[in-house]
Amino acid sequence: MGDADVDQAPAASEADLHESSADSDKGLHTEGNCLGVISEGTCELVIDPDVALKACQEVLEKVKMMHTGHMDIHDELVNGETCDTHKTEKSNASAPSKIREEEEPLPGSCNTVKNVRRRQKNNSAKQSWLLRLFESKLFDISMAISYLYNSKEPGVQAYIGNRLFSFRNEEVDFYLPQLLNMYIHMDEDVGDAIKPYIVHRCRQSINFSLQCAWLLGAYSSDMHISTQRHSRGTKLRKVILSDELKPAQRKKDLPPIAPAPELGLSPSKRTHQRSKSDATVSISLSNNLKRTASNPKVENQDEELSSSTESLDKAFCSPVRLAPQREFIKSLMGIGKRLATLPTKEQKTQRLISELSLLNHKLPARVWLPTAGFDHHVVRVPHTQAVVLNSKDKAPYLIYVEVLECENFETSNVPVRIPETRIRSTRSVENLPECGITHEQRASSFTTVPNYDNDDEAWSVDDIGELQVELPEVHTNSCDNISQFSVDSITSQESKEPVFIAAGDIRRRLSEQLAHTPTTFRRDPEDPSAVALKEPWQEKVRRIREGSPYGHLPNWRLLSVIVKCGDDLRQELLAFQVLKQLLAIWEQERVPLWIKPYKILVISSDSGMIEPVVNAVSIHQVKKQSQLSLLDYFLQEHGNYTTEAFLTAQRNFVQSCAGYCLVCYLLQVKDRHNGNILLDAEGHIIHIDFGFILSSSPRNLGFETSAFKLTSEFVDVMGGLDGDMFNYFKMLMLQGLIAARKHMEKVVQIVEIMQQGSQLPCFHGSSTIRNLKERFHMNMTEEQLQMLVDQMVDGSMRSITTKLYDGFQYLTNGIM
Amino acid sequence: MAQVEKKAGLLRKSSASKKPLKEKVVLMYDEIFAKDDPAKNNPRFWEELFLMRVNLEYLEGKLESLDGDDLMKIKDNVNSLFHHCIQALGEEHQIKVVNALQTLCALLWGVHQKNKSTSGFDIINMLMGFDKAELRMKDLMESLDTLLCGEGSESLKSLCLKLLLCLVTVTDNISQNSILEYVMINSIFEAILQILSTDPSRRQHGYDAVVLLALLVNYRKYESVNPYIVKLSIIDDETTLNGMGLVLSQALSEYNRQYRDKEEENQGGFFSAITNMVGSMFISDADEKISVQTNEAVLLALYEAVHLNRNFITVLAQSHPEIGMMSTPTTPVPTTPTTPSSMDVMNSAELPLDPNLQTSNLLITFLKYSSIVMQDTKDEHRLNSAKLCLIILSCIAEDQYANSFLHDDNMNFRVNLHRMPMRHRKKAADKNIPSRPLACAVLDLMVEFIVTHMMKEFPMDLYMRCVQVVHKLICYQKKCRVRLHYTWRELWSALINLLKFLMSNETTLLSKYNIFQLALQVVNLFNMFITYGDTFLPTPNSYDELYYEIVRMHQVFDNLYCMVLRLSTNTGQWKEAASKVTHALVNVRAIINHFNPKIESYAAVNHISQLSEDQVLEVVRSNYDTLTLKLQDGLDQYERYSEQPKEAAFFKELVRSISLNVRKNVSLNTLSQDFLLKEFSSIS
Repeated sequence: MGDADVDQAPAASEADLHESSADSDKGLHTEGNCLGVISEGTCELVIDPDVALKACQEVLEKVKMMHTGHMDIHDELVNGETCDTHKTEKSNASAPSKIREEEEPLPGSCNTVKNVRRRQKNNSAKQSWLLRLFESKLFDISMAISYLYNSKEPGVQAYIGNRLFSFRNEEVDFYLPQLLNMYIHMDEDVGDAIKPYIVHRCRQSINFSLQCAWLLGAYSSDMHISTQRHSRGTKLRKVILSDELKPAQRKKDLPPIAPAPELGLSPSKRTHQRSKSDATVSISLSNNLKRTASNPKVENQDEELSSSTESLDKAFCSPVRLAPQREFIKSLMGIGKRLATLPTKEQKTQRLISELSLLNHKLPARVWLPTAGFDHHVVRVPHTQAVVLNSKDKAPYLIYVEVLECENFETSNVPVRIPETRIRSTRSVENLPECGITHEQRASSFTTVPNYDNDDEAWSVDDIGELQVELPEVHTNSCDNISQFSVDSITSQESKEPVFIAAGDIRRRLSEQLAHTPTTFRRDPEDPSAVALKEPWQEKVRRIREGSPYGHLPNWRLLSVIVKCGDDLRQELLAFQVLKQLLAIWEQERVPLWIKPYKILVISSDSGMIEPVVNAVSIHQVKKQSQLSLLDYFLQEHGNYTTEAFLTAQRNFVQSCAGYCLVCYLLQVKDRHNGNILLDAEGHIIHIDFGFILSSSPRNLGFETSAFKLTSEFVDVMGGLDGDMFNYFKMLMLQGLIAARKHMEKVVQIVEIMQQGSQLPCFHGSSTIRNLKERFHMNMTEEQLQMLVDQMVDGSMRSITTKLYDGFQYLTNGIM
Repeated sequence: MAQVEKKAGLLRKSSASKKPLKEKVVLMYDEIFAKDDPAKNNPRFWEELFLMRVNLEYLEGKLESLDGDDLMKIKDNVNSLFHHCIQALGEEHQIKVVNALQTLCALLWGVHQKNKSTSGFDIINMLMGFDKAELRMKDLMESLDTLLCGEGSESLKSLCLKLLLCLVTVTDNISQNSILEYVMINSIFEAILQILSTDPSRRQHGYDAVVLLALLVNYRKYESVNPYIVKLSIIDDETTLNGMGLVLSQALSEYNRQYRDKEEENQGGFFSAITNMVGSMFISDADEKISVQTNEAVLLALYEAVHLNRNFITVLAQSHPEIGMMSTPTTPVPTTPTTPSSMDVMNSAELPLDPNLQTSNLLITFLKYSSIVMQDTKDEHRLNSAKLCLIILSCIAEDQYANSFLHDDNMNFRVNLHRMPMRHRKKAADKNIPSRPLACAVLDLMVEFIVTHMMKEFPMDLYMRCVQVVHKLICYQKKCRVRLHYTWRELWSALINLLKFLMSNETTLLSKYNIFQLALQVVNLFNMFITYGDTFLPTPNSYDELYYEIVRMHQVFDNLYCMVLRLSTNTGQWKEAASKVTHALVNVRAIINHFNPKIESYAAVNHISQLSEDQVLEVVRSNYDTLTLKLQDGLDQYERYSEQPKEAAFFKELVRSISLNVRKNVSLNTLSQDFLLKEFSSIS
């Protein structure tokens, strides 16, 4: 047992010391007063800090006890290192504790807890280095996940399971796929360590519950069908979906035993638990006991749920906590499935629009888009704006979704439905760029003979009421051109003074107005998405807002989402995580690389949603629609070489290009044709579709052998091989690679954990992780790295295969 | 007995040859028609009566044989029967409810049949007695409401609706049916809505419910406050409105389907060429006639919904598969008991998965229906239908929201309108119709009407409405600067041909109509294009083409000008109307007078006898600047549609004919009660 811990020791402490060196100088001048405060400080965000803390401490005790048993070995091996760790811990610890003291007085209970702990600490004079690490500020979620994954020691796992409670929700959420994959595919102990946290969070949030359920389903799908049915993952999924994990009632929040006696009691429980785990009894009874020991609160609730008082629980909570959202997602997926059966794009588009208009009838509802970053309720899907995306046999589609932002989508009231017809008075004339009067004015010029039937009066009253509410302020200026109402009114007022107008003027205005319409893409029934995606996002938002009955509400927002049906998005999710991690690393290391991780929602192993990149069209669409080279397109869109706009766009292009070259190299992203590379309005490129990464590549006769895609067209935009921007590009790549190398573990860890039990093609073969690690070239000096980058850039540019692949795509898929 | 059989009017069907036995129930009826209180000897008389199978023929025959005075003599017993019928409606025993409902039908019908001339109040007195009438009717309506909204059998609900339809249609003129006053006070509107908003009941009773509603709305429409009008105008529940839309579109598409089948059948036959030319496919077919008439009721319902309820407009664009649910009642959407009721709607919203089904909506179905109905307007029913179609289209074309989706560039549809087979044109290749905004389909339909109805029996009124619909659409386009990609040329040449027709038939037409109104409308449409073309034409070329078309057909405008000038200088009855047209022609004449010399000189200079289109367009393009036009007043203004007073007479007649037709169907249907009894024998 001790041996296992010792194995972990050097690697962990090394990594941490490395990291801490950067931060250590901050806290050197102050002295740490109490280590115990750290965990308290960070666990403030969790709903029940006391309970979580207590549970943590229990396990800490347990860990300590285990270590005291084998202390001799520890001392021998890690003597020198422990001192160092201790020092850094101290210095870092002071910062949070100080802040905490400033912010608020410590609650009495915490103090007592602290005292107890201090005493205990004094008692066990020799501290385990591992424990100190765990308690240190440096111990972040990434390390927690890493230890959870690597440690074979149930105690350590259980401790980390409890420590999860002390991290911020968002931090843990990032690693949710990893956590759940471990829960599904790793041994019982890891699962038991994770479960309490998951259950706790599920109780707190519908969104979390559903995410878990979806991910559990998706990551269980690779198991054999017979084992899958009885696997933990499937069971937990069932529990979540059956909506048993409702928010706990108040009464249950009371801890069954007072804090002090609990601590007193814990040793006995501990020994009990230990003996069980030592004996490696893995029957469910021991599981239950262990859980009781580690987190009494959760266990209590579990018991209550499984007991016969369930019906009582249901009476307290809404019985359809998860149902609306599940139905919403289900209907979106259903649409996708049905669209796939239609032969032409046009039919698909029509069907999509009509299906969505039906969906609209059920909105607003307590449903939301999980890809959004804020709480909201979906109120309307502007169905005519939806487009079917280009895909050969599947039918992914893009919808825009109108939402109303709210405090909390679980508790805020669902907005009241506003009938579609209410828009008629608010729809303004702004979408007609050439004239400055509102519809109301036009309507007033557009005198109609008011002639109500007797019975019409019943609702003409209704009309007036509505108009008063919804009329936007009426502008009094009229800068209308002569053919409009000004003339009408003049002629009607100053009677019989004929107004003459030149036919040539009418004809001229007609051609001018048509010429004025902004550069949009042509409407192409075979590529309906091109027009929709080319429209600038802000313009689209404004247009849809005008046409929406909810548009006048201040908390109105527009979101968009791509619904994918029949596609496995798990690899996309993995790529998203890696990209996000890389972005964080580069940000931390201040390397100005630009990449755009787009959010992925895995719903099952063959469906999901993607957050679309706004203001971006694929390079294929750019080239097809504009018939220009990329450089000429840049010049057309942003201005001449010397303009500020062009230079900014060029810089954006270089920074994003360098970022994605590294991503493509590290992740071995393949299938890089121009349909999968987007260009946004600011000049950034954005790679999409991570269907072929790591060990998988499309079976295409060995095309794409180069490290990444860098065509001469790209280099042209950068200003050619001799330009400063090209050198900047290479420098960025080098810096980016060095930074990524420094934090390799954080990146590799994400991938490595997901490999567990996975049948995804990206993990094909046995050397995926080793190869990934090798691509970070840990052993190279910076000079060597620079040479490597130069080589890769040269190689990619000269790569005949890239050109061949583009040609191949053009021939087979018509992608330019 | 024999006398009774002879007189048994509508309700007699199968048993004419059957020798009737004196059933128990008949004996009991006889007791009622005696002067004594039937319950005097048998206190359980009424209870027993409703346990007995109803003999409608006998009952109705008996009632019909009595005139007002005879009836007054047994008034107490009739009152009693009516009263106990209503009481029986509250019974748990469903067979009693069924019998009571049918008895009520017979009672209502029988009493009215004989006393058509009698005032409504006397009939109320005969049935219920003045003092009790209010109470009785309240009880009746409440019972019906409970039955309709309850969980009871669907056949029972159907019977309730039949009774209501019977009640509403007993008089030819609905407004003379005084009993309906009580239906106004005790509203069953909510029950109708509930039927329309829930799926299984909508599928079975939607049609009756919609027809009932349409009729109720027309009760004393112009004289008093009709609560059904008020209520219909303010519904905003989309499930209900959508349900109503589904019922209507199913009925219309069913008609369209029948027509298409018929057409295909005829085309298969060897005489197809002849029938096609005649264009009247099934005018002699009795079955078809019925279907035309019943669809008038549907059209009326559609009209009332569109006219009264602004929220209904959204339903027009609500998509659904081409073939409605009515045709697939055998596959109800399974609703799992575990899903909460609020989610049922979500499930039922899923459209059946069939790639062959074309997505459609009520508006498209209605346009197709209109295209069929408008083909032939010789028959009076069809003329009325066509008129109603055009009225509905006018309402739609006035509505801002409707216009916004008619012109929505993202909502493109292929609408296969039916085109009248005509000698001089080929049958259009249906499959090649591009997918376009719906406004194009409306314009197509109008153009189609304009070109196909220049006949001796000139449907002046329909033409006016048709041109007005076009005008309203263009007004919207001008106002909102919508540039519809429509081949306007087709419209222009259709309008010019219409003018030509008006002039060549001047004498015959002038004896019947004021053709100048129509001519003015048409000329003003051209004025819209000429002076406001910059705001809504799709391309600069289309403006050139407009001029080309006017110049090419200048003779028509010249002749028109001559005619109106002649009539406006005379002091005839058309002086004023004709002079308006004269003024309206100013710009058209300016264009002709400006470009004709230019074109002639171009031809002379270039020594070309016949200029090609491109050459003329070239001349047009290069000579705009020297042309001055006059802006005319109020081109983009129109009189909004209003039912009263102009259309009141039309609707009165329409409702009367619908009433007659509904009554006929209801009484036929109530008789076929064998299936009913089968069901209820198993229930009881």
